[in-house]
Amino acid sequence: MTSAAPAGSLLTATGLHKAYGSTPALDGASFSIHPGEVVAVMGPSGSGKSTLLHCLAGIVTPDSGLITYDNRNLSAMADRERSALRRSDFGFVFQFGQLVPELTCVENVALPLRLNGAKRKDAERTALSWLERLEVDTVAAQRPGEVSGGQGQRVAVARALAPNPRVIFADEPTGALDSLNGERVMELLTDAARSTNAAVVLVTHEARVAAYSDREVVVRDGKSRDLTLEFTG
Amino acid sequence: MSALDDLRLGARFAVNGGREGWIRTILTAIGVGCGVALLLVTSAIPNALAARDQRDNARGEFVGEQSLDKPGRDTLLIGTVWSDYHDLSVRGRVLRPEGPGAPVPPGLSVLPKPGELAVSPALKELLDSPEGDLLKKRLNGPVTAVIGDQGLAGPNELAYYQGSDTLVRDEASRINRFQGFPQEGLDPILMLLVLVAFVVLLIPVAVLIAAAVRFGGERRDRRLAALRLVGADGRMTRWVAAGEALVGALFGLVVGAGLFFAARSMAGLITLERISVFPSDLAPAPALVVLVCLAVPAAAVLVTLLAMRGVVVEPLGVVRTAKPVRRRVWWRVLLPVAGLALLLPQIRRGDGGGHFDQNFVVLGTAMLLIGVTVLLPWVVEAVVTRLGKGPVSFQLAVRRLQLSSGTAARAANGIAVAVAGAIALQMLLSGTGEHYTRDNGASESEMQVAVHAASPAAPGADQLRKDLAAITGVEKTFAYARTGLGDSPSGGEHYADVTVADCTALRELVELTSCKDGDVFLAAGKDLKGFTPGHAYFLDPAMPGEPESRLSWTLPAGAPTVPLKPAVGRYPVNGVFATPSAMPAAVKPSYDHRFTLKLDLGVPNVVEHVRNTAYAADPMVQAMGMTDGQTDHRYVQIRRGVLAGAACVLLLIGASLLISQLEQLRERRKLLAALVAFGTKRSTLGWSVLWQTALPVGLGLLLAVAIGYGLGAVLLLMTGFRVGVDWRAIASMSGLGAGVVLLVSLLSMPALWRLMRPDGLRTE
Repeated sequence: MTSAAPAGSLLTATGLHKAYGSTPALDGASFSIHPGEVVAVMGPSGSGKSTLLHCLAGIVTPDSGLITYDNRNLSAMADRERSALRRSDFGFVFQFGQLVPELTCVENVALPLRLNGAKRKDAERTALSWLERLEVDTVAAQRPGEVSGGQGQRVAVARALAPNPRVIFADEPTGALDSLNGERVMELLTDAARSTNAAVVLVTHEARVAAYSDREVVVRDGKSRDLTLEFTG
Repeated sequence: MSALDDLRLGARFAVNGGREGWIRTILTAIGVGCGVALLLVTSAIPNALAARDQRDNARGEFVGEQSLDKPGRDTLLIGTVWSDYHDLSVRGRVLRPEGPGAPVPPGLSVLPKPGELAVSPALKELLDSPEGDLLKKRLNGPVTAVIGDQGLAGPNELAYYQGSDTLVRDEASRINRFQGFPQEGLDPILMLLVLVAFVVLLIPVAVLIAAAVRFGGERRDRRLAALRLVGADGRMTRWVAAGEALVGALFGLVVGAGLFFAARSMAGLITLERISVFPSDLAPAPALVVLVCLAVPAAAVLVTLLAMRGVVVEPLGVVRTAKPVRRRVWWRVLLPVAGLALLLPQIRRGDGGGHFDQNFVVLGTAMLLIGVTVLLPWVVEAVVTRLGKGPVSFQLAVRRLQLSSGTAARAANGIAVAVAGAIALQMLLSGTGEHYTRDNGASESEMQVAVHAASPAAPGADQLRKDLAAITGVEKTFAYARTGLGDSPSGGEHYADVTVADCTALRELVELTSCKDGDVFLAAGKDLKGFTPGHAYFLDPAMPGEPESRLSWTLPAGAPTVPLKPAVGRYPVNGVFATPSAMPAAVKPSYDHRFTLKLDLGVPNVVEHVRNTAYAADPMVQAMGMTDGQTDHRYVQIRRGVLAGAACVLLLIGASLLISQLEQLRERRKLLAALVAFGTKRSTLGWSVLWQTALPVGLGLLLAVAIGYGLGAVLLLMTGFRVGVDWRAIASMSGLGAGVVLLVSLLSMPALWRLMRPDGLRTE
């Protein structure tokens, strides 16, 4: 862990730079999160918040800067190692769920477990328990195309939580939902994460959604500012 | 809004739909274009072959009913030269005018003078190149003219005319005009082969066109959903979709015409199975062009309207494929059953020179093959609903197929139809092959050189034999002389060959227990019917117009009957085998001399050296490989054409499969990126793509084998041949189909890797 990283943090990033062609997406952004903490990354469209999330999750490699996860240098890991890490330690929730349309809801939730080597029956048993917890067990045998948007997003949350990840990355998880469904999804996501001591990196541009977080980081023009630290410090 | 207005709106979407709209239109146009080009080329082939035949006929030396016994002012002696070069066929004719009005062959303005050569452009090019060095030693006269197009069957034909002042009547034909042999109709079995080949090659093209107009369907459905949002009803969206497809099909016609003209302009550069055609010959019949121009857009509209029936387009940008309606099998079986019903009455009609009802054959074959395309979606659905367990990659593939097996089955349809047709054709080809192939037991290392000794110009046979034996690579030479035996001085009712050779050479032809000079043997078999040992007959009996034979000869009473050796067919003989002393000396001038050579093919160009030595002795001396002429020429042409066509169609279908595969991957790029985001291995997704293609194609191939075998068996029964399982044909065609699928999967992998890059999430 670098000296700049706050003590006890699980995932940290310092001085991240990333450009797509000549367009800079991140320009020295920094970030940190502790186990069980929910941090909202906010900012206007195109500010670089999704790129920050992708860098933190090891999906995208930054051009420069350092990312450490559990005292390991994420930036130095090979693609195969990062993929393995994402399978075992990270969970993801996207704006449109991105459930596999041809699999049933329970198979979707079981998918990351099976990718980790779990047997089909065991994986589906665990998946079903998560669907119950997220109050969507009634749609377990249905395909994503046959359920409502809110139900689909809860299934996506269940899929993210099923492998017991240590960090959940949620990119605009309520962006496609009405306010009522959005709030319910956020309640379920944050409650479940806290109960398993998982950290949640929550990218959003809605203050209402950010209100579920413990801390807020604002990204603008590729630079990050930790509002909570500013206010308290 | 009327349906026409909806069509127009769809057409506008196709061209004004931005980048996505254009990509879809271009993909459709390319797919339809390839199909249209293939249709136009196929429909032009009969015309091209007819034009070739017409030119070939116009330069023929058929004597016909003319009686030209004596030289005249307008007569020409023309001799056919047996002149191949390596594996190239060279058409050679030696010309000797007998008067100032002798006819000039098409493509020439004057006859070549003695020793001079008039050559085709392709032969000139060959002679001028290092590859033609050995041929140049054979055709070493000065080239004084180039044969014009009207004197050539095709642009790449190797042909020449050589002037002569030594050619004699005995080794030539006398003509006063160039004309061909009367055209024979194709025999019923070959006609069946041609008909089936056309159906087999064209149905996959139709399937390809039908698949191409549905390229980009999923993206289009989302666009239609937006239309629904602003008030379009289901009927309107279907017609709008048809309008989009119509524009793609119309562009496809333009692309197809462009590809056709490009192929046509290059036609002159290509020689396929020794056949080349002039670009101007490749002209499809106007009626067929009109038919293609009308049928393709109409098919595009129809296919889209039918396809849209199964899609529920809802407003709010969501296309929810309704729970798939379970496919029914009963009506799908009707089509192949009806096809079979049309073909069954044709059984054994081709036996004994009978004729098939062409309409029934075409319709029955087409219905059986189209039956594959309607049965396959049901088979795929029926099988995949029963699958599910297995690794993640398998589960992903099976679940996708369960949700929407139609797209996958459509993609596999082309391969399945092509393979089914090809299997049936292969069975027909190998089943009837023996009818068109004479296995004479000869090997590549054997050659025969024939000298017609009756001609005063013919070289001394002994000298030629010595020259041939002196060639490096000629291991053995066997000399045979041949004459004939008739029961009357002018030929009579019965005729038998008499082969004269020493005992060593005779043992190559017949089984002899003992042999000495002076012995005569009779070949076992019915060829000696009408001849009785101990009776007198006439040697070298007269042909019509020739003086009667005066050579009486008694067939020795004690001449033993001996069996022919199995490989005797290599030397076309029957009848009497005699040693030299058994024959009267007076018959010697009538001998045709033949030498059978055994060659060491390890010596470079030994065959060409033999041909050159024979040609140097006299252009009219025939030197040919023993395996030449073992298989019927037209049969070989059809067989090779069919195989080349089947390979082209499979490749085209592979290309269409690739486009559809890439399109599906593009549609799913966000999902693929999301799957990679949570750690899915690339190999898992790669295997999933392979399973997704391999399952329907595997089922398609199984169905293709069943229907292809069934069709092949019926076709063989129609011709009266024995039905056998041609495992080699089945394995090769199925393997080719499977190979195309593997190739398509491999080619789509780079796109899959690219689409799995996390960049796909950037728009999330």
